[in-house]
Amino acid sequence: MASTDHYVIIGNGPAGNAAAETLREKDPDCRITIISDENIPFYYKPKLTNFISGQIAEADLLVYNPDFYTDQNIRLRLGQRVEEIEARTNTLYLSHMEAVNYTKLLIATGSKARVLPSMESYAHCLSFITEYEEVVAYRKQIRKAESFFIFGGDLVGFRFLKMLRKMGKQVTLMICPHAFWPFNITEEMQDTIAARLSDTGARIITQDDISHVVEDNGRYTVTTQEGQGVTVDMVFSFNGLVPRVDFARGCGLDIDRGILVNEYMQTCLDDIYACGSCAQIYNPKLNTYTTSIGWPNAQTQGRVAAENILGENREVQAVGRKYFDLEGVKIKTTWWEDYDAQDDNINLG
Amino acid sequence: MKKKDLYTKEQKYHQEANHTYSTHTVTQIAYSTDARDFGQVAKSVPCQDACPARTNIPGYIRCINEKRYGRAYELNRGANILPGVLGRICSRPCESACRHGEPDNGVSVGICHLKRACADLKSPMHRIIEGLYAPTGKTVAVVGSGPAGLAAAHDLAILGHQVVIYESEEKPGGMLMYGIPEFRLPRDLLMVEINNVLRLGVTLKTNQAVGRDITLEDLQRDYDAVVVATGCMAPRKLGVEGEDLPQVYDGLAFMKAVNAGEKPFVGKKTMVIGAGFTAVDCGRSAVRLGAREVKLCIRKTIDHMRIDDTEKHEAEVEGLLMHSLVQPSRIIGESGKVIGLELVRTRLETIDEPPYKISVPIEGSEFSLPCDSVIAALGQTPDIPHISSALGRLDQEKLTSEMDKVFVAGDFVTGSSDVISAVAGGRACALAIDQHLTGLKRKQKVVRLESHASTDRPRSYDFIPRVDMNTIDMDERLKNYTNEVETGFKPDQADEESKRCYLCNLVYEIDPLRCIYCSACIDVAPKDCIKMVESIPKNPDGSYAPYEETSDWDRVVSITIDNHACIRCGQCHEVCPMDCIPVTKTELIEMDTEE
Repeated sequence: MASTDHYVIIGNGPAGNAAAETLREKDPDCRITIISDENIPFYYKPKLTNFISGQIAEADLLVYNPDFYTDQNIRLRLGQRVEEIEARTNTLYLSHMEAVNYTKLLIATGSKARVLPSMESYAHCLSFITEYEEVVAYRKQIRKAESFFIFGGDLVGFRFLKMLRKMGKQVTLMICPHAFWPFNITEEMQDTIAARLSDTGARIITQDDISHVVEDNGRYTVTTQEGQGVTVDMVFSFNGLVPRVDFARGCGLDIDRGILVNEYMQTCLDDIYACGSCAQIYNPKLNTYTTSIGWPNAQTQGRVAAENILGENREVQAVGRKYFDLEGVKIKTTWWEDYDAQDDNINLG
Repeated sequence: MKKKDLYTKEQKYHQEANHTYSTHTVTQIAYSTDARDFGQVAKSVPCQDACPARTNIPGYIRCINEKRYGRAYELNRGANILPGVLGRICSRPCESACRHGEPDNGVSVGICHLKRACADLKSPMHRIIEGLYAPTGKTVAVVGSGPAGLAAAHDLAILGHQVVIYESEEKPGGMLMYGIPEFRLPRDLLMVEINNVLRLGVTLKTNQAVGRDITLEDLQRDYDAVVVATGCMAPRKLGVEGEDLPQVYDGLAFMKAVNAGEKPFVGKKTMVIGAGFTAVDCGRSAVRLGAREVKLCIRKTIDHMRIDDTEKHEAEVEGLLMHSLVQPSRIIGESGKVIGLELVRTRLETIDEPPYKISVPIEGSEFSLPCDSVIAALGQTPDIPHISSALGRLDQEKLTSEMDKVFVAGDFVTGSSDVISAVAGGRACALAIDQHLTGLKRKQKVVRLESHASTDRPRSYDFIPRVDMNTIDMDERLKNYTNEVETGFKPDQADEESKRCYLCNLVYEIDPLRCIYCSACIDVAPKDCIKMVESIPKNPDGSYAPYEETSDWDRVVSITIDNHACIRCGQCHEVCPMDCIPVTKTELIEMDTEE
């Protein structure tokens, strides 16, 4: 008898798609629905900067060809936002009040740009590069603009800076110690990064912070705490990411920074799982919750979550202590400082 | 003119007056003590119901909108004697209950910021309204001049009793003066509102501690009644090794020292243990004392912190780091100094009955972080034995102790709560004492019902974004410890924010005798707030239970507005061809029983 199970996945990134593929592979008859508030099928986020510069076309961003979801019998609902989860009745509500019932639910909503608390008053002056629609909105403006102020700085930020310089734009970069929040870059690290990036021809500011941003006639004047003033066409913020979990608050899920799940990707509520960078996963080896970033982690977690949804009992592999090279400085890929608290442990003899 | 067939239902009420406005609309006013009306007010006006002091929130917000700031301030004072103080430091249970913050409705109204606006924007010479009773010749001693003691003293003085406050510290105010940092609560403002109590003839005796300078038995002998309102002053201990090291402070002692102008050592790295307002106050104070890194160690998740979003935001702006799902297991010292804190990780577990999340330590997950100081802000408990061991069992309902004539109020009897609860507790105690001294119940809660000609606001107000509080920059904050961080609303900001209030005290009801079941109201309703019902059951307390809805026309007995879901847009009122949806202003008020 054909399966009548309906598996709903919120999120159309690497975690959600890996889960959907695994579900289809292991249960050919089940119903699978992916819901995403973005209006584009699964795409390569790391390629967004190349898309801005015009090096690649929109079609090159897509991971699968358009027939993939039809062939796999996976229903893709794009541009639809989940408003509320009612765990008691296994129902979720979309923003247009449609109720969708699920047998099991997987939350894989990823993360969004973090706005520094001190910059929230100026959020309307800031641009971000985390989603396709933002990039589409800015693309023409970026090409037309001549001067940019980038503050924060992370892998995408530095890639964006290099791309702008290749396009011949004037760029001022302020490297903030909290760009990799909550991991603070020391002054020495900032100097090392600044030295490496100075070759690009960008003006680099370190050991300073933004005091305020003022918009005037479509241009922005950024004033630093040391009193420097820079007037530019666009201001970009790269200050880390935060899990996209606001929609899930209040439904009974345990949420800290991300949705708390055990090593089997199960949340505290029956029939609801979470994976990818929106989840904080319990790691029995470290005895703590960790959060991960990156495409491979998301895919692995998506596959494990799908297998456990289907009744297997697979423990997700502990996220290793991975480091990446940021312009000569090694930065941890885990987000939360307590993950590596052992590094700070006091030697008690 | 719209006909107002307001009070056809069976109610215990009396008509007070017919008032004619220039529009020739007849306003009818009635007072009810019917349980259904109390239930209706609680359900319809969730902000007021959530406020422990039952402040008339829509009422004062409407006054702000009309730029009657003095009247708005007095409406606040009717329930809470410290509007300027609470407008700055209230824990804001009203905002969590605000209908504007419900799913799909946007963000709750900045009720607390508007409360502050009343105090900031009123004329400094506005008229304080106090309905004084004739002197009774009775004397009452109030022990403690915190919010509960002040509220009790105020209401007892109003009721005609001679009141003397005994305060153990040099200045009055209790936790307000000594526990809350000046950058959140300026002391001159606090003293203005305390003096509004003292000017009623209340005597304040400072540096008079019960148990040290005077005994409770002395007061019992010398006064007709005594109120013990000393709050919670005994700090909860961590109970871990290293707690006695000199750089380990309890939250209240730390704040008292800072507020007295001292500069306790915090070093470069400070760990604060706790998840409430005091913990955040300690952390923010440590930043001002020069700490470069301040971490808040929280046993549960950030969502479980007992502070509001504004406070959380300011803490983050000032660089406080939240270290969730940990609890301290040891404070590490070396040569008599704190060098680190050992923590154990925790996970959440659900206790089913009643549903509650607890944090459970994870065995073997200990780790340590270096630090120079530790502040344990775990809250306080009442110091009952220190006051008098004869107090015995405290009755939380009657607010009495086992000592004759000795009453208890505020946190001293309830345990650690918040300032607005303490104010409400002080007022309740004053009524209990008054009844004890006079043998009369001189005040009672009543629902005031008044026919209202309009909806008072257009639908477009629903889409106004919440107005952010103005604050000073970080460098200004660090320049001087006493610089107040929040600077209040300007009049235009207060006006804009006041428009956002749905005015839930305006209740819409469909008159079933005139309704022609045309469904025009259902068609225009922006929410699922107009229901076809076959029955409206009642709760045991007399209030209405959820409607039993039906979609079968044969079973419909009434089309009814669910005032719990209604956002007071007024569109049903406008579109009704039969004028059968009147608007009634419902207010919970306190009245003299004689009247």
